Amino acid sequence: MDPFLLEALVNGVLLGGVFALPVLGLNLVFGVVDVIWLCYAELVMVGMYAVWFLYTQAGWPLPLAFAACLPFVAALGVLLHVLVVRPLLRAPPINQVLATGGVLFVLQGVATLVFSTDFRSLGVEMPPMEVGEVFVSGTKLAAFLAALAGAAALWAFLKFTYVGTAIRAIARDREVMPLMGVDPRRIYLITSAVGGTLAGFAACLLVVQLDVHPFVGLSFGPITFMICVMGGLGNMLGGFLAAFLMGLIVSVGGFWWNTEMSYVVAFVFFIAVMFLRPQGLFAR
Amino acid sequence: MPSTTATTRRALLRTGAAGALAATVPASPRAQGPARGEPLRVGVMTDLSGPFAGAGSQPLFWGAEVAIELFNERGGVDGRPVQAVTADSQSKADVAINEAERLLGQEGLEVVTGIYSSAHAVPLSGRFEQARKIMWITSAISTAVLKDRNLRYVFRPTVHSDQYGEASVSFIHEHAQSKLGTPPERVRLAAIYEDGPYGTGVAAAIEANAKARNMPLVLKEGYSASAPDLSTLVTKLRRERPDVILHTGYNPDITLFLRQAKAGGLRFKALIGHGAGYAQIDRLTEAFGNDVNYVYNVDPVGTQMLDWSKLGPGVGDLAKVFVERYQAKHRVRDLPAHASMGFNNTWIFLEHVLKPAVRKTGGMSAEALREAALAVDIPVGGTIQGYGVKFAAPGTPMSGQNERAFPVVMQFENARGRVVWPTAIASAPPVLPLPPSSPYAARS
Repeated sequence: MDPFLLEALVNGVLLGGVFALPVLGLNLVFGVVDVIWLCYAELVMVGMYAVWFLYTQAGWPLPLAFAACLPFVAALGVLLHVLVVRPLLRAPPINQVLATGGVLFVLQGVATLVFSTDFRSLGVEMPPMEVGEVFVSGTKLAAFLAALAGAAALWAFLKFTYVGTAIRAIARDREVMPLMGVDPRRIYLITSAVGGTLAGFAACLLVVQLDVHPFVGLSFGPITFMICVMGGLGNMLGGFLAAFLMGLIVSVGGFWWNTEMSYVVAFVFFIAVMFLRPQGLFAR
Repeated sequence: MPSTTATTRRALLRTGAAGALAATVPASPRAQGPARGEPLRVGVMTDLSGPFAGAGSQPLFWGAEVAIELFNERGGVDGRPVQAVTADSQSKADVAINEAERLLGQEGLEVVTGIYSSAHAVPLSGRFEQARKIMWITSAISTAVLKDRNLRYVFRPTVHSDQYGEASVSFIHEHAQSKLGTPPERVRLAAIYEDGPYGTGVAAAIEANAKARNMPLVLKEGYSASAPDLSTLVTKLRRERPDVILHTGYNPDITLFLRQAKAGGLRFKALIGHGAGYAQIDRLTEAFGNDVNYVYNVDPVGTQMLDWSKLGPGVGDLAKVFVERYQAKHRVRDLPAHASMGFNNTWIFLEHVLKPAVRKTGGMSAEALREAALAVDIPVGGTIQGYGVKFAAPGTPMSGQNERAFPVVMQFENARGRVVWPTAIASAPPVLPLPPSSPYAARS
């Protein structure tokens, strides 16, 4: 096999890992609360700034900065729910989208005022792995493995804990479950915290791969939404698989044609899916 | 909701910019005394937010800010100060168009300076031409903005993208045998570029110049500046084994490429950037440390790299004041080229176009400014970036383009740049190929 094609395939899988975590977080929130956090990528951006600040400015060890990022962004998720989403739970969906879209601009604006438009970098990298003629980025591989571990932890939480079961139950039928004793307000709050934690986790993985700037969300936010829809909005497994599919399309498409064309192929594929399976590729 | 947010941000930026300008007007008169008469209102549109801000547009604005401040301190136009009416195009073409409408319509301006991005300059130029108002481009370089359009109200004192491609290919052609030990015809070039008018324009010029010199271009590929991943492009570059990579990008894409190139084991003999993100050497050094040593950048020269004693009378002094003031305000080690571009091209407008137009007509109508611009005749050495100014006349293929502007090739070492091409004005020979200390250096 052409080693360069093999490298492109590996890159595609690793790229899928990068997309997977924010897709899981976004899908979890939508599946349970039934609201799209349009500002999800900006929550990730805030988490990236948090890690950058704690590590390079406050001098914290990197693992500690990572550890602090998770509850910080989780708290932001809870704040977002309490201040913005909860008052609009019974409002038309367009109001919810516009409200979380407004938060997107607020977060970008605040980050610009606080950190300026400069690009910030952790300056941390891991040595690449060289297997024959195939190079694999150590940083991306570590991020990929961490993303898999994060996805597994989320699955275990939802599958084996009482709260996780309640979350899944609410996601399945948010009208009936309150009649069975589940408090949806509490579950929404917990789900928002978990969604925020996943955004924080994604921030930890992305901050070692991308520079932080107030508009970094534009790099991965739109494609994250596209993957969610392609996998089936609210469908965790579907979104997870679609992330890898999208990573492979972008990477192999870029290898066979060119980088620009790879995104054209990805979007054409997305449109085709929307025509053929508007409920999402992996929806049951 | 977005429009409300945009208004709020715009108001914030406008207040901030106005405050910054007001704060710099000295309380006591200087030698010539500050201007105090009826202000002359000039639009300044740059990207103060969004990805372009960190890729050179912010220093472009700061350079213009110093120019206006200094111009006013020196008396403005016979006592009338210049008042900047600022606009933030937010790195978005639609916002740039809306802001231009505001400046021309609500603000009633006759001239707007600035314009960082070629992607904005292309649509804006048509609008200014239609409105018969002056668009004074201080940064956007795409040749396509002016070429074969016979625009009469759009002026660009800085260089254009065809010159970038010519400079980088000529530089490699000149040094191939002596530095790389290879005939130019065997030096493998690769051009990678962001796919807007800026990158596309430079890449087309690279291709044309490589073809004219019979140098093989083994890969020419564009990508979106906001792409989240460029590792496949790195893989393809490794497959094609170029000696020299000619890169045109903004900033998130440049740092992403450099990071993924290192992680992907990409090796080469030279990396030549073409302005924008590559001009922000402080930022690149902050991110990559010594890894970016010996990277090249093609751009109009940062004035601090010139021997000021060789510039025209008074020009060296002006450059010195600018550099000192900019460094004091923004605490940079080495001024990005965009700072010099912002100052120089704004100064050319204020001193050589606005002043004579106002003196001649008593006002600053677009027609008077246009007439003054076409009459500008500054010899080489007459501006702080070394080039002269003479605009191509209407009816010529590049109408409105400064025919005396030229780029240089700079090389960075420890966050300091030096001119290495054209050889006649080079301050040092190039370090070529990359030394083994570079993580990108080709293995023998």
